[in-house]
Amino acid sequence: MVNKTIEVGYGKVNKVKIGDKLPLAFIGGPCAIESRDHAFMMAEAIGKICRKVGISWIYKSCYDKDCRSAPDSYHGLGVDDGLRILADIRDEFGIPVVSDFSDPAWGPATGEVCDMVQVPAYLCRQTSILRAAALTKRPIHLKKGQFMSPWNMKNSVRKIEAAGNRQVLLADRGTFFGYNMLVNDLTCFPIMAKTGYPVCFDATHSIQLPTSMGNISGGQREFIPYLVRAAAACGINALFMETHNDPDNAMSDANTVMNIKHLENVLSQAKAAHEFRLEMLEKFGEDNVHPEK
Amino acid sequence: MSTQKSKTMLVSEVMMGLDRVPVIKETVILKEALEEMGRKRLGIACIVSMNMKLLGILTDGDIRRMLLRIQKPFSAFFVDDALDHAIDSPLTIAPGDTLVHAVKLMDEKHIWDLPVVDASGVLVGLLHLHPAVEALISNE
Repeated sequence: MVNKTIEVGYGKVNKVKIGDKLPLAFIGGPCAIESRDHAFMMAEAIGKICRKVGISWIYKSCYDKDCRSAPDSYHGLGVDDGLRILADIRDEFGIPVVSDFSDPAWGPATGEVCDMVQVPAYLCRQTSILRAAALTKRPIHLKKGQFMSPWNMKNSVRKIEAAGNRQVLLADRGTFFGYNMLVNDLTCFPIMAKTGYPVCFDATHSIQLPTSMGNISGGQREFIPYLVRAAAACGINALFMETHNDPDNAMSDANTVMNIKHLENVLSQAKAAHEFRLEMLEKFGEDNVHPEK
Repeated sequence: MSTQKSKTMLVSEVMMGLDRVPVIKETVILKEALEEMGRKRLGIACIVSMNMKLLGILTDGDIRRMLLRIQKPFSAFFVDDALDHAIDSPLTIAPGDTLVHAVKLMDEKHIWDLPVVDASGVLVGLLHLHPAVEALISNE
């Protein structure tokens, strides 16, 4: 297995390297782009925290939320307006940006602006989306579907590779445990890492209770720090968290986004746990308890 | 006792051609390797690179031992690269080696099959014990 490193960022923005033995990277922002002012305000606030913590960062926000529970849930600003705001955030703050896309037709425009493109978990085995993501030539943040085993994500990776792209970040955002409930199986990180690509933990979607509140999803935010510490100690290369200045009034994922007032604390813990894990491996040697060969 | 003819018979005269051997590329998953072994009705698969160099072999016995040792779900096992579970540096033989030497080697190592590779490591065939012994007997 070759441990690949991916580099996110083109042009004049900061380059974020994600891979084995590298510092933990952070991917975060408000779930949806709510307005230009809000997106800019969040970018500035998160940037300050990341600089203080000393963690490299990719701004995440989506222009179209196609998997909302209700027909009247906020859908987003749309491709044109949303991507224009992301492009301006890149220019203004010099940071790489990522958005998901849920229609293969939006792939080229998304890849033209974004430094990284994200494949939504529910669509993680759709060949047309994976191919569209691959053809952008950008690194791909591929989320493991809540219904997928970690080992079967290899099939999705193969689809991306078949379309000529070898820059993938595989994320866990929880696995369905019966109805309206997710659990995290930490073994998914070493299993997905067997593909050779770096892995990411999506903490804020992992505490989601999918559509548990009738026509919207619930969430148990209180568990975010516990899961973050566990994942960082287990072994991840990037951490994904959605954050908002006013979660109760967030236009998307109000029950799961983390209040930005906690971001510095949680990011600091994640960074420390990650560094401690690397130190331990350096001191005691690599994990080799029951090799398959 | 072997006759002069059986003593001089070469591996290349008896080996199975690649069309009859489970030959799989290095990116093939275990489930596909098992299917190919079933189709060709042999307990061995030869894993090769894009330029046909032998990278490893997978045998029924190896798979049996792995199932007992690794204990992960079949769905996880099936999607592993076959190469992950292969023997990296298998015993091989050259097409110009004598059949007597090959059979002695198989007897000594308790194996039923020997991949046949040329001087550059390219797979050119497979020597199976049954036809090898049969050839020696019929030439006595």
